Amino acid sequence: MHAVVDSLAMIAVSYVMGFLFYGFYRQLNARVQRRWGPSIWQNFFDNMKFFFKSETLTHGPMFFFGPMIIMAGAFTTVLFVPFLKDSDWLQGFSQYGNLILIIYLLVVGPLGNALAVGSSGNPFGVMGVTRGLTRLMGLEVPFFLGLALVMLQHETTSVHAIMAAQDGLANWGLVTNPIAFCVILLPFIASQNGSPFDVVGAPVEVYAGPRVEFGGRLLGVLMTQNMMMSIAKLVLVVDLFMGGATNILVLIGKAFALFLLTTVVSMVFPRLKTEQAVDFFWKVPLGLGVLAVILTVWLPSWSA
Amino acid sequence: MSWMLRLLFLAVSLSPAALLMAWDADLSWPLIEGVRLSLTLTPLAGFFLVLLALVAPLIALPMLRRPSDVPSLVLFVLLLIGMQLLLLAGDFVSFFIGWEVMTWSSYLLLLRSPRTDMVTSQSYILFNLASAFLLLAGILVFYSVTGDFLIRAATEVSRPQALSLVVLFGLAFLIKAGTLPLHIWIPRSYDQAPDLFSAFLSGSISKMGVYGLILLLTLFPDALTGFAGRFLNGPAVGYLLAWVGVITSIVATFKAISQEDMKRLLAYSSIAQVGYITTAIGVGSSLALAGALYLALVHTLVKVLLFISVAGIVLQTGQRRFNDLGRLIERMPISFFGVLIGIIGLAGMPPLPGFAAKYLVFVSLVDARWLLLLAAMILASTAAFIYCYKLVYAPFLGHANSPEAREAREAPWPYLVPQVILMGLLVLFGLFPGLAIDVLIDPVLVGLQMAPIGSESWAKLSTAYGGYDGVVLMLVFGTAFALVTGLFLLLRGRMRRAGSPHDLSFAGEVPTAETPLHYGAGMGRELRRIPLVGWILRQGTQGFYLGLAGQMRAAAALLGTLYVGRPQTWILIAVVVFALSLAVQAMMGGL
Repeated sequence: MHAVVDSLAMIAVSYVMGFLFYGFYRQLNARVQRRWGPSIWQNFFDNMKFFFKSETLTHGPMFFFGPMIIMAGAFTTVLFVPFLKDSDWLQGFSQYGNLILIIYLLVVGPLGNALAVGSSGNPFGVMGVTRGLTRLMGLEVPFFLGLALVMLQHETTSVHAIMAAQDGLANWGLVTNPIAFCVILLPFIASQNGSPFDVVGAPVEVYAGPRVEFGGRLLGVLMTQNMMMSIAKLVLVVDLFMGGATNILVLIGKAFALFLLTTVVSMVFPRLKTEQAVDFFWKVPLGLGVLAVILTVWLPSWSA
Repeated sequence: MSWMLRLLFLAVSLSPAALLMAWDADLSWPLIEGVRLSLTLTPLAGFFLVLLALVAPLIALPMLRRPSDVPSLVLFVLLLIGMQLLLLAGDFVSFFIGWEVMTWSSYLLLLRSPRTDMVTSQSYILFNLASAFLLLAGILVFYSVTGDFLIRAATEVSRPQALSLVVLFGLAFLIKAGTLPLHIWIPRSYDQAPDLFSAFLSGSISKMGVYGLILLLTLFPDALTGFAGRFLNGPAVGYLLAWVGVITSIVATFKAISQEDMKRLLAYSSIAQVGYITTAIGVGSSLALAGALYLALVHTLVKVLLFISVAGIVLQTGQRRFNDLGRLIERMPISFFGVLIGIIGLAGMPPLPGFAAKYLVFVSLVDARWLLLLAAMILASTAAFIYCYKLVYAPFLGHANSPEAREAREAPWPYLVPQVILMGLLVLFGLFPGLAIDVLIDPVLVGLQMAPIGSESWAKLSTAYGGYDGVVLMLVFGTAFALVTGLFLLLRGRMRRAGSPHDLSFAGEVPTAETPLHYGAGMGRELRRIPLVGWILRQGTQGFYLGLAGQMRAAAALLGTLYVGRPQTWILIAVVVFALSLAVQAMMGGL
């Protein structure tokens, strides 16, 4: 019973945080561009509008099941990320998983949806999927390397253990392993589909993106999972580098701070092409990662 | 062919399983003075025998479909017997006989395909004979050092002897496993071999190289650490081997993405997967070896499943290129699920066991502190998503691109039964990641005198670095899926199926049947614009060998300049050198 209530609470929290954060983003972005922008609730309204569309077009069973798989993937990901530390609540099933599992779970849903995109028969949708997979190939290398530095630092893949080791500001991953945070920051923005790495599914690229064939309630599902998945990733980075959170307000605060950081980076830079983005990831963040490995792994072992 | 013969063939294909059940003693008899043959079943060989026992009947079943090719069946039986001899061998003589029987019968089987051309058969036999002769040379060195042929830890060898043994045996097994740059026989032969035999080549025969590499570790218990000490938290020699494995995976993965033919893509993917296994063997810790064995298990199941599914598609459509297929999902749904489960396992996605295997390898790399290798492996395994997607999209989704693809029917049942069994096995191992550890892998580790991984329960995979629960994962995902689908269908509004496959959102245009709408073979072409990937794809191994040949020719030409010109000069120089050396020796008081 506890598990059921807890799971539903986690899903609700991630959904509410999701639309509020994105609502705020739209508002902030508008202000930076000297527009008024929509209200902070706009994402919620949009999402509901999609869910209550009277008609939805499909292209066969696989097309229908793709969004269901991506949504189930989002739920599973949320449930395997511990939201709070030292608490019985908002834990989901995180004690049965680990960091590497979460990283892979982040990809399960999008791959399921890729089947639906392929099934639609729209070549532009498939082009978008290929772009997405290519970007993933670029970003995952430095992202995983940064996380591996954290796993090595704590000698565990358990998110709980990593969180528990960061008691107090001085033990935050951000303080004890800042270079790992720098390594993952830009790939993290890309994994959130943030500018400048947002060529997959950016507003002007909709016609060459994975979502080109989806409409109505199916698009609503895709939008919902995107917001929830973003929150799961934010919370994961909060857990790993910002000491986790002991209650929901602290969690929202820390996640929001991180969200602001990624947002301001996103707002400043223009969009890169896919191949430019991949090349960038393999040069700058990965180069930094290699430097981090040399500094924090090789040098200590040689001087010892 | 009568049903008696068929039954006999099926019975022989079950012989590895029977052997596994019934074997309980060691056989040993003298061959000639001082040389004893012995047959024994070590835990390590037992693991690979399990793989063979799983796969052999599943490939034998579709091979029996009429009209069957009797010589192929006979050769397959011979191949199975050779591989069992190889695995049972307790001495190097029987090992070599088994290896040779395997090489020749597989070569002749390869020739049974009408598509096999001269280049393919030549490269297959050349590389495999090179492997066999290197093995033979290694065996002779081993005999001259230890004085017998028994496969056992060689403790008394000196360093140069051990080094030569490791190089000879290592090269022999790396050729079989197909690491870069010794892999060029693989894509051709996997592609052109009879469709079902490709499954066996990739699933079972490549594993014999892996078996040999692990066996090599048991010959020299400190082979990895003994030569050059340790690098960070692992063996320095292993670090090199691990990089060879990872570079193999990266290059083969990008090559796989750029293929336009299903079987060639699978061949390159097979090279990449065996590259991961090589990497894990290089790490050499108990975690890593568990990962290597787990990867071997998953790769066997997945590749046999994928090759049989692809064989079914080729049988029903006659097409093997991505451009000529499409939209088979409605016509071949079971094959679609076969390929889908196969690529999920291949990509290492949870909850299938591919993830458990990759998890063990990743953790072992973190444990060895080899993070750059880890990053390189992530590159290969993420890039693999692209070819996995291509493999399911181009034949099954999109638009049918040829008349055959438009009218294909589901593969016949002898092709479907193995697929369903393999899917079931993959789901079973995915639900219970501890099952394979407990039943298959830990006995091998104990036999190798390493720390077993252990598992609290079959549902859990647990390591010192943490683990996960397969049953909980599958339940959560399944429940979430059911819940989401149910809630979605409860919502108000109706679903409408698009009127025609051309009813698409197509940038303002209206596509017709003539519009090329299948992305097929073009997928992944744009990857060449990434500088690193473009560079890798421009290089060919053929170029490497041509360059090598060029260097050899240049060296020979240099050497040849000694012989041309006026012979008198050379004779004069020889006389002078002889006289000088005599004089020097005389002055030193030597004469």
